[in-house]
Amino acid sequence: MIQSIFSDEHTVVFLQKGPLVFVSVSATRQSEQQLRRELLHVYHQIVSMLTQASINRIFERRKNFDLRRLLFGSEKVLDGLLDVMDSDPSFMLSAVQCLPLPSSSRDALSHILQKAITPDLVFSFLIANNRLVSVVQEKTVLEDARLKPSDLHLLFNLIRASAFQAGEIWMPICLPLFNHDCYFYAYVAYLDPPECTVCLVLLSTDKEAFYAVAECKRKIEEAFASQNALQWVANTQLYYVDDISVANLRHFLYKPSKVLDHHRQLPQFTCPEMEVGYRSQEERIRLLDPYRNMHNRIHSTSRPLKLIYHSAGKETLLAWVTSKFEMFACFTPLVTKKSAISELTKLLRWIKKEEDRLFICHLPKYSTAPQPGRSSTDRGSSARPNTSDTGLLSLL
Amino acid sequence: MASGMQEKQYTPSLLSFFIYNPKFGPREGEEEKKILFYHPIEIEKNEKIRNVGLCEAIVQFTRTFSPTNPAKSLHTQKNRQFFHEAEENYWMVMVVRNPMVEKPNKDGKPPTVEYQEEEIIVSNLFNGTFSRAFEAGGVELLTQKLEKFFYRYLQTLHLQSCDLLDVFGGISFFPLDKMTYLKIQSFVNRVEESLSLVKYTAFLYNDQLIWSGLEQDDMRILYKYLTTSLFPRHSEPELAGRDSPLRPEVAGNLLHYGRFLTGPANLKDPDAKFRFPRIFVNTEDSYEELHLIVYKAMTAAVCFMVNAAVDLNREFCEQLDSLVGPQLTLLASDICEQFNINRRISGPEKEPQFKFIYFNHMNLAEKSTIHMRKTASVSLTSVHPDLMKILGDINCDFARVNEDEEIIVKAMTDYWVVGKKSDQRELYVILNQKNANLIEVNEEVKRLCATQFNNIFFLD
Repeated sequence: MIQSIFSDEHTVVFLQKGPLVFVSVSATRQSEQQLRRELLHVYHQIVSMLTQASINRIFERRKNFDLRRLLFGSEKVLDGLLDVMDSDPSFMLSAVQCLPLPSSSRDALSHILQKAITPDLVFSFLIANNRLVSVVQEKTVLEDARLKPSDLHLLFNLIRASAFQAGEIWMPICLPLFNHDCYFYAYVAYLDPPECTVCLVLLSTDKEAFYAVAECKRKIEEAFASQNALQWVANTQLYYVDDISVANLRHFLYKPSKVLDHHRQLPQFTCPEMEVGYRSQEERIRLLDPYRNMHNRIHSTSRPLKLIYHSAGKETLLAWVTSKFEMFACFTPLVTKKSAISELTKLLRWIKKEEDRLFICHLPKYSTAPQPGRSSTDRGSSARPNTSDTGLLSLL
Repeated sequence: MASGMQEKQYTPSLLSFFIYNPKFGPREGEEEKKILFYHPIEIEKNEKIRNVGLCEAIVQFTRTFSPTNPAKSLHTQKNRQFFHEAEENYWMVMVVRNPMVEKPNKDGKPPTVEYQEEEIIVSNLFNGTFSRAFEAGGVELLTQKLEKFFYRYLQTLHLQSCDLLDVFGGISFFPLDKMTYLKIQSFVNRVEESLSLVKYTAFLYNDQLIWSGLEQDDMRILYKYLTTSLFPRHSEPELAGRDSPLRPEVAGNLLHYGRFLTGPANLKDPDAKFRFPRIFVNTEDSYEELHLIVYKAMTAAVCFMVNAAVDLNREFCEQLDSLVGPQLTLLASDICEQFNINRRISGPEKEPQFKFIYFNHMNLAEKSTIHMRKTASVSLTSVHPDLMKILGDINCDFARVNEDEEIIVKAMTDYWVVGKKSDQRELYVILNQKNANLIEVNEEVKRLCATQFNNIFFLD
């Protein structure tokens, strides 16, 4: 099957997933693999709305089914995804960006979330300004499956695209990398109308659990109010490169390979707020280009590299992969190698010092008492769209 | 290796190559007329037509996005197709099998995109020299010519040994002192004056260029032809021993060692043919058709180009032979002597200290201390092929922007590769210093530049 077509100005990439064929025509200079990964994200976003099992089943029954009938109204979601993939490095790094928060505050917030649970509740997320603040999960969930950054990105995108403000939403959502054949039911509400920056997402496996989950939200709101927790989030210090006092460094992306205390990892990365020169959307997109190019070279399947140092007209760029971390940095164009190295060392030291604040270091767990009399059904085989899955074990 | 873990390595190889012109068979049922050349010939006719049709369709498809820049290449999992519009409506397509590393469980495919893509360009530039009868002559003539030419050319194409030097398509210049250079210049002038028919001349020694009167792009193509096709075909009989069976042709000519490489092999032979290959060079806006006469004495070779309208006969060849032969022989030994003197002064050539490749886009000069021997079929490099591919990657990155840049890379094997681009010059250095850090590598490269390239400014 044709995989890609190259011409001077455009790259055409093909991806086939089951009965669906995706084509991307791009004028950027991304590599074939990177473009294909973007198509995969689009596919997963569609799966997150329909589930893979139902897509396959529909096309098995009717080969020329027009999927647009089912995707009606989701254009904003897919458009939003395509836009955000061009300016957000989290897709390239396959990692989640967290809100920097002192670990004591974060622990307190997580504790509140841990307490407000109900049977069949699987995940609770607290999101602020598109950054993850805290995530707590049901104990047994982690046995086999793992929460992947790609799923989180799709979740964020879905919420962003729904563009609701006040009130609450109860919607089915499938997390494709977690389990691509069945739905969760997501309760989404902003905790601080009208600013709407702090968002609470509760995922349950029970379709009918709306009231129970809404009750959890109320409990959380109460606890927040009594401790004035929203203030912590509002006071959070997003940091700038200036805070680290490295004169030539303009921007960086840092992704540690191991952050969480225990075995299960949630890949995360951190990056400073954009400096003056890079605040506009165009500049952000433009900066992502060289980052992506270096990422592509350094992770090449046939000739991977450890370090790239590239001095060019507009900036000097560095990419570095070690067993402990992966990082990309952008300096002023006239920086000398000596200063670049010394600033980098300073940066690494700063990150080490602030590690607790920059990353989520552990994922708290809770347990909801298992319901008696529920049998564990086979994962996926009996999954039908819009059917609630009985029992958590069927997720695994 | 552990048992059961057998890695098979496939190198890239040419699967097929064809040329077509969609204008020649626009109607249904006439598709076969579009195909001007197809290799391998054994492919069934319908499959040929299908392949050509597919290429046309792809080109049309990409034209919807960019009418002036249609598809250049197409990748599938097993092979790659490259498209090149040599002239308006004349399309060349090359299909190459992907290099593969087959492991028992995983079928990896390390792509070597840059190389293959550039190689097709090189082969097409090359083609320009010989088959420009597109405008003149009918289709019949064209197909015949293409068949003859490409059959031979495709055999010289060795994809697995292509690397960065092929991407550059540069010319290796022979370093000379001023006196000897002047001697060569005056020789060329003398010959051009005595043989007024000669339009252009080029002088080579030891497969390297010294002087050329041709335009750069044409010389580049001619140089490639000489070094990959013509020279390897003619061994060196005069360097063989006196009693060697290779000598007979030259026997009887004790005045000089000169002989024709194109044209009559032996002047004394009454049946000698006086046919010379024709080439087309680009002067201003049109093409000039010329006879290519290559005359060689020892390791010096001169190319004379004469207007194709002139009929070259025995008289002319004998004149050339008697005029050029002795002088060229003398020159060749002079150059050799000079070269040896210089070598003695600069010291014996040990393992070069720095492994680098240098290329100057302006005069097409190339220099490599990595290639120990580079002919058409073999490229002996002293570095791992993966490192050469990294060089190709860097070259690709450089090509994106027109600014001066520098890229330093540390490979998984702890080799450092440094690429510098300044003005129109590119320099690639490979360092094997496992424990060096960025600063030390930088210092090393600075040292190299100071010794070998001290009059060229490279970014720090």
